[in-house]
Amino acid sequence: MSSEKLLTLKTRDGEEFVLEEAMAFRSLTIKNATSNYTINNTPLPINVEINTMIKVIEYWKKHSERGISEDELMNFDKKFFKLLHNSELFDLVVAVDYLADKGLSNAACEQVLDKITGKTPQEIRDIFNINNDCTPTSLGG
Amino acid sequence: MHSSKSIAPMNYFEKLPEGCIFEIISRTTPADAVRSTILSKGFKAAIQSDEIWERFLPTDYQEIIGRSDFPPVCNTKKELFFSMCDSPILLDGGKLSFSLDKHSGKKCFMIAPRELIISWGNRSSFWKWRKYSNSRFSEVARLVSVHWLDIRGRIGTEMLSPKTNYAAYLVFKLVDQKSYGLESANAIIRFVNYETDSETEKQANTVQLETLPQDRRIFGGNHNQQIIASGKNPKMRGDGWMEVELGDFNSKEGIDGPIEARLIEIKRLHPKGGLIVEGIEFRPKIIKYKLEADIEF
Repeated sequence: MSSEKLLTLKTRDGEEFVLEEAMAFRSLTIKNATSNYTINNTPLPINVEINTMIKVIEYWKKHSERGISEDELMNFDKKFFKLLHNSELFDLVVAVDYLADKGLSNAACEQVLDKITGKTPQEIRDIFNINNDCTPTSLGG
Repeated sequence: MHSSKSIAPMNYFEKLPEGCIFEIISRTTPADAVRSTILSKGFKAAIQSDEIWERFLPTDYQEIIGRSDFPPVCNTKKELFFSMCDSPILLDGGKLSFSLDKHSGKKCFMIAPRELIISWGNRSSFWKWRKYSNSRFSEVARLVSVHWLDIRGRIGTEMLSPKTNYAAYLVFKLVDQKSYGLESANAIIRFVNYETDSETEKQANTVQLETLPQDRRIFGGNHNQQIIASGKNPKMRGDGWMEVELGDFNSKEGIDGPIEARLIEIKRLHPKGGLIVEGIEFRPKIIKYKLEADIEF
């Protein structure tokens, strides 16, 4: 009964996977790429690694579910982001920026913001491994 | 954090494309953005960018600047932002002044005395209109003497930053040694299209324009009446004027029409005099929150 179009994608690290077109088109980048591309079963290359793409798809799947309530989505989002290490969160932010999905991009940026809100500068540096290369004189002005 | 390997841990922020960094920083406040310049040289450079400060400026800032006879001229958006915080500009030929709140980037307006609705304001035995060197406006309103004190200032809610907690302030001075009748008054905030005068008069706040020295309070001063030492106190501002909060409100969505801030003392009709009015200001109000541990911050 599956009349949905399917799309084959290939990640940066060589993994291929299949996705419903409707879901894949949450990414404007993918959507635009397929409009200039004849489907002849060649997988569409995307500049994301498989581990990160799995998480993106998990998010997309949940947010495409029919009949899901706002509360359930909020709970899902909370758990989803809680399980990410900082490096995974940043990989996600970069990937979603590339994929151009505004909804997930907003959510991911908010998460980064949450992590730095209320923290001292050194705490922020520690969380994100920022090297403090500021000298006292370079801070002027 | 300290790995036994000699390879330095990856700087996560370095992974992010510039656009992502801007997205994240522009969701903080201007104050936080400035504070983050000390994180690293990379951050310091990113914070100078026009793209970030454009996001902190109100969406209609160009239209607002267009209403000024002397629009600020700045090289960067960051300069423009801070210029609008530190130096209010006059709009619409001097009817009101505009500035930005430094911490939040939200819009602040002060209504000029001539644009206020002052009962008996055009009768020179009651109110005089004067140039004043310390005023940002062309004229201030000086109260000679009235029994019926009623000053209103209005601004369209669409001009304010949306979904923001605002407070309205009367900006004023008292004539040295010559003010009277201003120990206590009432203040009202009203959504003009939705609430009537009589409804809101019942819920008025109490404010003080004058704080009497201890001895005058004890001996009752010149007037033989009870002096109510309650209500909002006047405070000194950075620009040399005093202010007293008339009330607060939220510029929520779906509300149209003007918001009005009003100072009245019409219940007790003793004479009042010696007040100089600079305007009524609308600016964001910081609501203090209490944590469970009852720490205020």
